Amino acid sequence: MAVSSEYIVDLQQISFTRAERVIFDKVDIRIPRGKVTGIMGPSGCGKTTLLRLIGAQLRPDSGAIVVNGQNIPELGREDLFAARQQMGMLFQSGALFTDLSVFENVAFPLRVHTSLPEDMVRDIVLLKLQAVGLRGAHKLMPDELSGGMKRRVALARAIALDPELMMYDEPFVGQDPISMGVLVRLIRLLNDALGLSSIVVSHDLAETASIADYLYVVGDGQVLGHGQTDELMNSDNPRIRQFMQGEPDGPVPFHFPANGYIDDLLSRERT
Amino acid sequence: MGAMINRLALLGYAGLNVIAALGRSGVFLFQALTGRSRFGNAFELLLKQLYSVGVLSLAIIIVSGLFIGMVLALQGYMILVGYGSEQAVGQMVALTLLRELGPVVTALLFAGRAGSALTAEIGLMKATEQLSSLEMIGVDPLKYVIAPRLWAGFISMPLLSMIFCVVGIWGGAMVAVDWLGVYSGSYWSNMQNAVEFGSDVINGLIKAIAFAFVVTWIAVFQGYDCEPTSEGISRATTRTVVYASLAVLGLDFILTALMF
Amino acid sequence: MRMRTLELTVGVFILAGVLALAVLAMRVSGLTNDATGDSYKVFAHFDNVAGLTTRAKVTMAGVTIGQVTDIRFDKNRYTGFVEMAINKDVNTLPADSTASIVTAGLLGEKYVGISVGGDDLMLAEGDEIHDTQSALVLEELIGRFLLNTVSSED
Repeated sequence: MAVSSEYIVDLQQISFTRAERVIFDKVDIRIPRGKVTGIMGPSGCGKTTLLRLIGAQLRPDSGAIVVNGQNIPELGREDLFAARQQMGMLFQSGALFTDLSVFENVAFPLRVHTSLPEDMVRDIVLLKLQAVGLRGAHKLMPDELSGGMKRRVALARAIALDPELMMYDEPFVGQDPISMGVLVRLIRLLNDALGLSSIVVSHDLAETASIADYLYVVGDGQVLGHGQTDELMNSDNPRIRQFMQGEPDGPVPFHFPANGYIDDLLSRERT
Repeated sequence: MGAMINRLALLGYAGLNVIAALGRSGVFLFQALTGRSRFGNAFELLLKQLYSVGVLSLAIIIVSGLFIGMVLALQGYMILVGYGSEQAVGQMVALTLLRELGPVVTALLFAGRAGSALTAEIGLMKATEQLSSLEMIGVDPLKYVIAPRLWAGFISMPLLSMIFCVVGIWGGAMVAVDWLGVYSGSYWSNMQNAVEFGSDVINGLIKAIAFAFVVTWIAVFQGYDCEPTSEGISRATTRTVVYASLAVLGLDFILTALMF
Repeated sequence: MRMRTLELTVGVFILAGVLALAVLAMRVSGLTNDATGDSYKVFAHFDNVAGLTTRAKVTMAGVTIGQVTDIRFDKNRYTGFVEMAINKDVNTLPADSTASIVTAGLLGEKYVGISVGGDDLMLAEGDEIHDTQSALVLEELIGRFLLNTVSSED
């Protein structure tokens, strides 16, 4: 099954609309194997949707999503769940199972997909928790953890089955600088140590740029540009430059479309 | 004229939405219940749900059953004593409970107690991305989360309904025999003569099973299908109680017409 | 350990539910009386069985000693055929006892009342009670009463 191509994920001509709104319009994105790829763009541009498309939680209107040589939208329910075992996903909220302890959360994928003996499950779980620095917390329940710790436990759970592809959905949102730094380091470390391929979806420019080998900038249902980080920084495309340098006004306007300001103020019309 | 057409279009749109939701819930039920679960701990999952759906509903069922049986006996006695046939109070209490109140009131209480909890729990799991996360781990949430809850509902409610009836009849006996002084022999023997196991007890049980199916289905589907926000969950919970109650009462009429 | 208590409570719950069904079967619908093992069958022909149902009680001196198990039409004799199961321990019914269909109260249910005869022979399995008294049909009674009043006025 392992197709040793240069790209682990290959999105070909993906179109996706939700409630009459075009999220993607014939988009091509390729995720190189063994690297950390950042996907960036303004909020609400469909970055999370992209991960859900790869994980087949959503179905594209047209186009192919090839992961490891398999076209995901064409798989049957059974094959799909098998294919997902190759993927790990870190959700924004962590999404730990609230009725299970930290240990059981990490052990969960092992228990449902393997029939390993209990002491081996224990070794693997402690190993994964050690990797995220939370081995000492394995007896706690999720509601006893801070937000950053929850995300790290979720990360340990996502890598429990040694997936080939890790997807991070906004991993830096709402984190204090310390746990943000921990996460940045972890993503890089895990990618290199476990030989993963990673996709980081984020709008936090500095953090993403600091770990990503390759960057995509998406917006308006299009890929605005892609390339190495420094290439993009110096891009001529005004939209990319606005995003990369964080300018408030530009091609993406600061103001919501409206009538003339003066006219609005002077008019007696009640709004 | 334009407004009229607009309104018609809106009505049509709402109708289509209802039909689509019905179709979605049917597919949902089919997928959750067909196919073997691949988890070694499927039994353990069912057990947990039986506890939270069934055992935790016991208290409310027993207390309401007791009071309803007592009220039935009191009301029945006051009517029957006028005809000098107060010894028939036992059969009245038993038949009312077995045929109607047992299954119906249990289903309504079950919708309020267990159904709303199911909806809220599943809705919350959806809102906190736990369901998505299960999917990405390669576990079908329909099998892992939904199926055990459905089965727990199907199993628990008929049992609760039977318990409700027994407690109610016993409560009726307490009022009629111990308090109002109906001869206990005629309370029980009249009841035994009037109650037919096949047509009364079994038909009541069939009703309870049908209600269990409908209530649990609605509750679990509303949770699974809700909008994953706190507002969406609260709306879905309300919908569960309203839809389930209406469905139970409507279905009760149809079943009664068919059975008795 | 927590799993164990969970198993136990759920077990108790399911047991309670099944037990409830058993109580409904035995105590409430009186299926126990159907146990024909410790009873014997006798039958009787009535000119009119109106209102009598299966599982109606069979009494003697006001005490239930059995129940009606079958009612059907005897097409040879144009009468109602009633089969009764009498408790085994009531084995001293004389063969010439009388079976009558009586009503509990004015509008109550119908049941079979047996009054003792004087024969030395006792009723046994499969015997017939020959002496019977039919159900009292209220309409007939009222009709006869009206007829009597009319004729006495003449």
